[in-house]
Amino acid sequence: MTETPVKVLVVDDAATVRLYHTSLLSEAGFAVEEAANGLEAVEAALTTAFDLFVVDVNMPKMNGYTCVETLRSETVGTPAPVLMISTEDRPGDAERAYAAGANLYMVKPVSAERLVRVARMLTAGRGIPA
Amino acid sequence: MNPLLAQFLAEAADLLTSVDEGLLQLERDPGDPELVNEVFRAAHTFKGSSGLFDFPELTRLTHAAEDLLDAVRGGKLDLDSGMTDDLLAAFDLIRGWLAHVTQHERLPASAGADAAILITKLRGPLGGDATTPVVEKAPIVHVIAPPPEWLSHFEQEWLDATATWLTTTSSTLRFARYLPDEGCFFRAEDPLHLISQVPALARIAVVPPDEWPSPDDYDEYACLIGFVLATRAGHGELDHLFRYVPDQVEVVELDGDALRRFLNGEVAPEPVEAADAPVVDDPQDPAVVEDAYAILAAAQTSLRDQQEVGGVRLASIAHSIASAAAALGDISELSDLNAEQLTETVNRLLGSTPAPPAAPPPPALIERSAPEERIDRGRADDPGGQVGTKILKVDQEKVDHLMELVGELNVAKNGLTFLADSAEEEFGSRVLSRRIKDQYSGLHRIAEELQAAVMDVRMLPLSVAFSRFPRLVRDLSRRLGKNIELVMEGEDTMADKDVIEALADPLVHLVRNSLDHGIELPDERTAAGKPPQARITLSAVADGDAVVVEIADDGRGIDPVKVKRKAYEKGLISEEELESMGDQEAVELVFRAGFSTADQVSDLSGRGVGMDAVRASVEKLGGTVTMKSELGTGSVTRLRLPLSMAVTQVMVVSVAGQRFGIPVDLVVETVRVPGGEIGRVLHQDVVVLRGEVVPVIDLAAALRMPWTPDENDDRRILIVSLHGQRVGLLVEQFHREVDVILKPMEGLLAYADEFSGTALLGDGLVLLVLNMKEVLGLAARAA
Amino acid sequence: MPLELHEATATLTDVVTVDEVEPLAAWLRATEKPKVNLRRCNHLHTGALQALLLFRPKISSAPANAFLAEQVLPLLAGGNGTASRQGSEPP
Repeated sequence: MTETPVKVLVVDDAATVRLYHTSLLSEAGFAVEEAANGLEAVEAALTTAFDLFVVDVNMPKMNGYTCVETLRSETVGTPAPVLMISTEDRPGDAERAYAAGANLYMVKPVSAERLVRVARMLTAGRGIPA
Repeated sequence: MNPLLAQFLAEAADLLTSVDEGLLQLERDPGDPELVNEVFRAAHTFKGSSGLFDFPELTRLTHAAEDLLDAVRGGKLDLDSGMTDDLLAAFDLIRGWLAHVTQHERLPASAGADAAILITKLRGPLGGDATTPVVEKAPIVHVIAPPPEWLSHFEQEWLDATATWLTTTSSTLRFARYLPDEGCFFRAEDPLHLISQVPALARIAVVPPDEWPSPDDYDEYACLIGFVLATRAGHGELDHLFRYVPDQVEVVELDGDALRRFLNGEVAPEPVEAADAPVVDDPQDPAVVEDAYAILAAAQTSLRDQQEVGGVRLASIAHSIASAAAALGDISELSDLNAEQLTETVNRLLGSTPAPPAAPPPPALIERSAPEERIDRGRADDPGGQVGTKILKVDQEKVDHLMELVGELNVAKNGLTFLADSAEEEFGSRVLSRRIKDQYSGLHRIAEELQAAVMDVRMLPLSVAFSRFPRLVRDLSRRLGKNIELVMEGEDTMADKDVIEALADPLVHLVRNSLDHGIELPDERTAAGKPPQARITLSAVADGDAVVVEIADDGRGIDPVKVKRKAYEKGLISEEELESMGDQEAVELVFRAGFSTADQVSDLSGRGVGMDAVRASVEKLGGTVTMKSELGTGSVTRLRLPLSMAVTQVMVVSVAGQRFGIPVDLVVETVRVPGGEIGRVLHQDVVVLRGEVVPVIDLAAALRMPWTPDENDDRRILIVSLHGQRVGLLVEQFHREVDVILKPMEGLLAYADEFSGTALLGDGLVLLVLNMKEVLGLAARAA
Repeated sequence: MPLELHEATATLTDVVTVDEVEPLAAWLRATEKPKVNLRRCNHLHTGALQALLLFRPKISSAPANAFLAEQVLPLLAGGNGTASRQGSEPP
């Protein structure tokens, strides 16, 4: 009766933030996988078709902007929605996120409720989180 | 503890380590952009993660550190040692806080004040950035309103207790009454849900309808009830939460006195203060609308700022527009993936008119709005299944207990050999004795494996003992005005945790000694043709069942002539020795009790106790210390320690009918020689073994025990090696080797230095284990 | 299913939404000595709370959810909101 769960990739170098986002989303019924930086995220996206990406901005190895750009590039080429969550609220950051291909840029802390709400909204057409 | 907090504490420990290491390295290599970036990132991650918890001081302090590091990273500032000091102090403070958090799950009360001082310091180099307030003090507003009559909906008892509490603590609470209108359910409003979102909720109570309808007339879709609530949340938080129903909510701030007045019957005539917020006439779940608009605005930005939007991007934008539109109740057909059409759709959806009212609220929206409770439950049940780790953290005490049990098993196992002996001797059954011995060897093998396994668990890397040195060397060298590079090698070498722990003090002493006495001031070094920066190398390497730790410096070295003279002046050596002693031997004089090389007592290491204390504590661990030094080029101190010290193998011997143990490590061989072969050189018994003259000490005489060997018997001599010297011990009988857990001497025997400890044997007897060094000293004095 | 209705017991699970209010009220109206199990309930719609307040069924199992257990359960246990079953503590 349940459809395939919605697959989310949570990308953040801070293990605590990762755990926070992951537990919120998996509690809400999403199938969550994790990546600790942009590079890992791109690697994961090459083998798994995710329905949503939740991406931090400031990360080692590959930052969030480059990560999203790569997800949208021919290398990966995924049209799945991307939520960028940043610790900073600096002018121009949101524009950079959108230029990279993100669908929504939010500033931490994002309330539990809002994260789940937005995640559901953006994945509404892709199976119902059971 | 909540798994998220546990995760944070674990992550924080790693971050603190990398910040410390990074800062110290940076001081050495100030320009390294990679290092700056690394430290910055750690501070940044810290700030981000701390924001998930209610630790505002932690977030502010890490923020200040991050800003400073960001300026360094951006090249606006050069990191100097003053800044490094402040940064290190900030992270030290945080380390202390986290220890407090581990225990109490909150920051210490002093956090705010302590943080303020450091934040000011950290912000200093940034020009005291005015835009970032140093301490964000909440404005203390004591708007104490007259108590409204609706307080009566709370229980009297609770109000009474609360009044007392507020008076005692001179604090206040916000009280609110929320009277939703009858038709609110139809607008997807759920008043109880809104109330569940109120932070720091102290109490709620229901405002019942004036009269409950009869069950038959009851309209379940009419909201008849209201709520009153008490909370520690601020006005701003309440205003924000109730921003869509401001006219239905009334908020007052009350202190203990106001509550008391209410309880005494004084009631305000009219509602006084209402939360004021813009009235939004929106029938839909406002949060959903807000998010949908945010997504649409983002799509608009993406479409506008980019002339060419590639296929994948366009698809993703189209998808997000469709999602937002669906959430707003607008099922737009987005068949063509065409930038212009998408822009048009977005503009229409975002257009001046609010989203089209979706008459019956989609019930799913309400269901979507209680994730927080679910998360709480999730945290309790499932401690973060995603962050799987294969490392099990075990309480040290449990491992210690396991080790004790292994020791007891060994003792019980040893008991079998005694049983085998008595089977043969007392009951004359050689067969039974044989079978017991077979059993013993099976058990022995298992016990050995078990012991090895437990030992393995107890192994820690030397980095645990080394970790404090970068900081120590940095701080001390700055205090002494010396320029020192610390190099550490082989930190991965493993040793038993007891060894690591016991190594800490001798190591600190040796490193301080090097810093204090060995390393010259930069000028002195330059004059001697050396680079101004000195180097201390701390290295560890495994060598069989021992670990060798070396502390080497390229300082001034030890002058053997000076050392000898000093030792002579202090009466430690004779005039004869002063003349004949070789350089290497002279250097080792520093280990003699009562010797101190420094001409003046420094505040660092010259505390009267010197290297003799180091040697004593290392030897207590069953290890050895040696030192090599070359005048003008530096010194090397080498510690050799057993990898583990939990179980000691001892050889059991007896004299005068009493058994003693001797650590097997020291035993070279056991020999039997006819009485006639014992010679005498200069009042000393000796035996010649393979051409080497070995002095023989009468153990019984040394321990003052009455025993003389039978003239006709062969002499039994145990050859031991001590400080590279072979010595024979005349004993009555050799017994077997046993594994024992050595316990320190206690009580009356605590001062008997000739014994290093006691061990329980399988037959219940207590074995005294000899401290060979002291025994030889006794023998020398007795002679 | 957020709402399971049996002969004498209703089990409310997870999030009880406005959709469950009508069947719950109807069941409460029709059941002689209704019992309600809230253990696995994570949120009660205000309408559901109101129905429970009106019909006063026996709460057979307290909710595990913290907010419901600490704040809402006392409302259901108290008679007309004046008495509290649990001792109250100052905040």
